[in-house]
Amino acid sequence: MRCHWLALTLLCLGAYPAGALETSLAPSPALDSLAPADIVGAPRGTPLTGADLDTESWRVGSLLRCPVCQGASIVDSPAPTAVDMRGQVRAMLAAGYTERQVLAYFEHSFGAFVRLDPSAHGINLALWLAPAAALAAGGAILLAFLRRSRGSAGVPPRRDLTDASSVASAEPDDPRLKDYLDRVRALTNRDDPARVEKSRKA
Amino acid sequence: MNRRVLLVGLAVALPLVVLLVASLSRDPTRIDSPLIGRAAPAFRLISLDGGDPLTLQSLRGRAVVVNFWATWCVPCVAEHAALVQAAQSSGTRVAFVGVVYQDQDSEVRAFLRQHGASYPMVMDPDGRAAIAYGVYGVPETFFISADGIIVNKQTGTLTAARLEQLVAELARPAERGPS
Repeated sequence: MRCHWLALTLLCLGAYPAGALETSLAPSPALDSLAPADIVGAPRGTPLTGADLDTESWRVGSLLRCPVCQGASIVDSPAPTAVDMRGQVRAMLAAGYTERQVLAYFEHSFGAFVRLDPSAHGINLALWLAPAAALAAGGAILLAFLRRSRGSAGVPPRRDLTDASSVASAEPDDPRLKDYLDRVRALTNRDDPARVEKSRKA
Repeated sequence: MNRRVLLVGLAVALPLVVLLVASLSRDPTRIDSPLIGRAAPAFRLISLDGGDPLTLQSLRGRAVVVNFWATWCVPCVAEHAALVQAAQSSGTRVAFVGVVYQDQDSEVRAFLRQHGASYPMVMDPDGRAAIAYGVYGVPETFFISADGIIVNKQTGTLTAARLEQLVAELARPAERGPS
């Protein structure tokens, strides 16, 4: 048994720290190591090596926010914290954890903030749905506006220009201009005194 | 029509303005730890004094204060004396552990010779403990109950008075709660 442990440890020493390996292979009641398996369960994928490991480490790392930077992923940052996090991502992928497990592990300790792409669950759904809802609302408003302006362009409103009440809103505020307009009206409606009186009142 | 546009505009814009104004008073760097109320990540870390690795498990049954720090971090240096004092005065009821973050052990040894130490220091060379605890920056201090649950997390310098209050809360399980 002891030999088995030694062989296994030697085999995987390069891939992952031995402490975590022990726990992932044989979860012990005494949780003495910082094993991701305690949080996200045993690795569910295939252990990666070589170029695959490089590519996946970069891709998964680009989904995680560097906590000490402003809006940068851990692969875009030279900060020591980001370097450590890249190391952790790589170690987990090498040990066979899936992308989901890696993201879940970081989210467990740092919160949803650590993910550059928030997952579409719970209140985060609003982030995904709000742009679509805003687009639909904007489209509806634009459509209503276009329909109304087309309607008014096609059938111009009929206005009886001889009716003083319909032009009342066009009465000028300037008293001198109003006097002038009254005189014009008096001249143009000379044969109808009632109408002149009406327009003067208005 | 203009009145309606105004009302609709206000209905849309006012909540946004209220939200923005309310957010101005929030500290954008403050992010609550999702670990509060959860089991503290177990660790086994190399002791600075070269002895056996220190495990969180070995402290089970006592309340634990885990302080992530570094000698290059000015706020950590500022709170060091308060931590040393608190660890001394709380005796065996509360265990203190200093986890050295992004630092050289020679630097840490020199610092402790100069400023004193009263509780064990452990090294976290590849930052795995800091990642497991979701450390955003140092100093961060975790308060772990005797049954291994993180009950509180403090970011930034702790004054002696604040630390005394938090340790008293931690050591009194009945009245314990995150503050």
